[in-house]
Amino acid sequence: MTDLDTRLLAAHDVDDRQLLIALYSEAADCANDADACGFYLTHAYVYALEAGDPQAASLCARLVAMGREVDPYASTTI
Amino acid sequence: MDHTVTDLSTVRRPIEEANGLPNAHYTNAAVFDEEKHALLFANWSGLTVAAEVPEPGDAVPITFLGMPLLVIRDRSNTVRVFQNICRHRGMILVEERRKIEGAIRCPYHSWCYGTDGRLVSTPHVGGPGQNTHEGIDRALLGLIEVRSHIWLDVVWINVSGDAPAFEVANAKLLERWSEFDKPLYHGGVQSSFTLEVNCNWKLAVENYCESYHLPWVHPGLNSYSRLEDHYHIEEPDLFSGQGTLVYRQIKGHDEQVFPDFADLAEKWDTAAEYITAFPNVLLGVHRDHTFAIILQPQGPEKTLEHVHLYYAAPNTSEDLRARNAAQWKTVFAEDVFVVEGMQRGRHAVSFDGGRFSPAMDGPTHLFHSWVAGRLAAARVASQAAE
Repeated sequence: MTDLDTRLLAAHDVDDRQLLIALYSEAADCANDADACGFYLTHAYVYALEAGDPQAASLCARLVAMGREVDPYASTTI
Repeated sequence: MDHTVTDLSTVRRPIEEANGLPNAHYTNAAVFDEEKHALLFANWSGLTVAAEVPEPGDAVPITFLGMPLLVIRDRSNTVRVFQNICRHRGMILVEERRKIEGAIRCPYHSWCYGTDGRLVSTPHVGGPGQNTHEGIDRALLGLIEVRSHIWLDVVWINVSGDAPAFEVANAKLLERWSEFDKPLYHGGVQSSFTLEVNCNWKLAVENYCESYHLPWVHPGLNSYSRLEDHYHIEEPDLFSGQGTLVYRQIKGHDEQVFPDFADLAEKWDTAAEYITAFPNVLLGVHRDHTFAIILQPQGPEKTLEHVHLYYAAPNTSEDLRARNAAQWKTVFAEDVFVVEGMQRGRHAVSFDGGRFSPAMDGPTHLFHSWVAGRLAAARVASQAAE
């Protein structure tokens, strides 16, 4: 298990949403292929979306650019 | 369903000849379910009050007649009611009262919804890391909204979705109390309380509608509000209740009173009215405060009564609000033994629904007649559909 995996599990254990956003973003940046990147980005995005975190917009934009998401910000605020 | 069809033929007779609703309407699970659909889902029922979700993002899950609902104030400050389930696997979305900071995330597969109900994300729906799929049209998969309307701060819902518009269905009541259709200020935590009573919800309505019992059950009220100071309020097939001609404002130690609602007619100087908006909301209006009691049926023989008091202005005296709430709580608590006693009485197998005082029970009979009429109409519609 990598150090990042360990930190992710620890963040899940304490349900630290801000840390989860950061760690899943980090995992996406470290991913070796597009599918893995999209997987981790999705998790970072969903936790940001739920929290109303401003990072949600940029995370969403990355997924949209990868053809993996549609932009919910296009119409109104959530 | 035939074995649970009750005989309502005597209920809608003139009051001099009528009987009340049969026992099964208070004790039988199948009849309770029939009334759930014909009375509570098919009309405009009270669910809660808007004051329960004061700020955008505030969300409260409520189980109403077994149905999981979510009351939420969206980002544009509109109070909405949704079925509290994800459109994916029907998972409950929100388990307890909380603030939605961003989106409502389903705890199962993390489909996300905006506070306005839009489906905004469907993670991995097209495979790992692929969050769209041509078979999943988000525009068609928003939260299922329940038709709702706010009046006197009560959140009214029409679950069936086919009742006349709230303003049409309640036009006469809105007109009667148009003077009170102005900003109401909830009295805060001390001005709301819940009574759990072991009775069918209709017994709470029936007791509320009439003044006949006041001198016997509420002797404290009778000291200034005698039976002859009350009048019946009767709008057949719409609503019923009672009024008093001798309302006296509660006063603080220094003769302080609550401020009045603006521009009230002179009659409200001493009048107050108590009306049940059928099916399940008991309302009261006075020159200086209003209240709403929302009946939340828990089963044929158990009901929660949620009481909320409102004032004409914010920042009224906290002490006076506490005293007013305590006074009303005493009155409503005095009624508990009555409704619970009538409930136990419904297990007497020879009880025929009872007879009404032609002079004093008009509002109660009117409610029975409304129930019987709505059930009869629903039965006809059901038979026609078959």
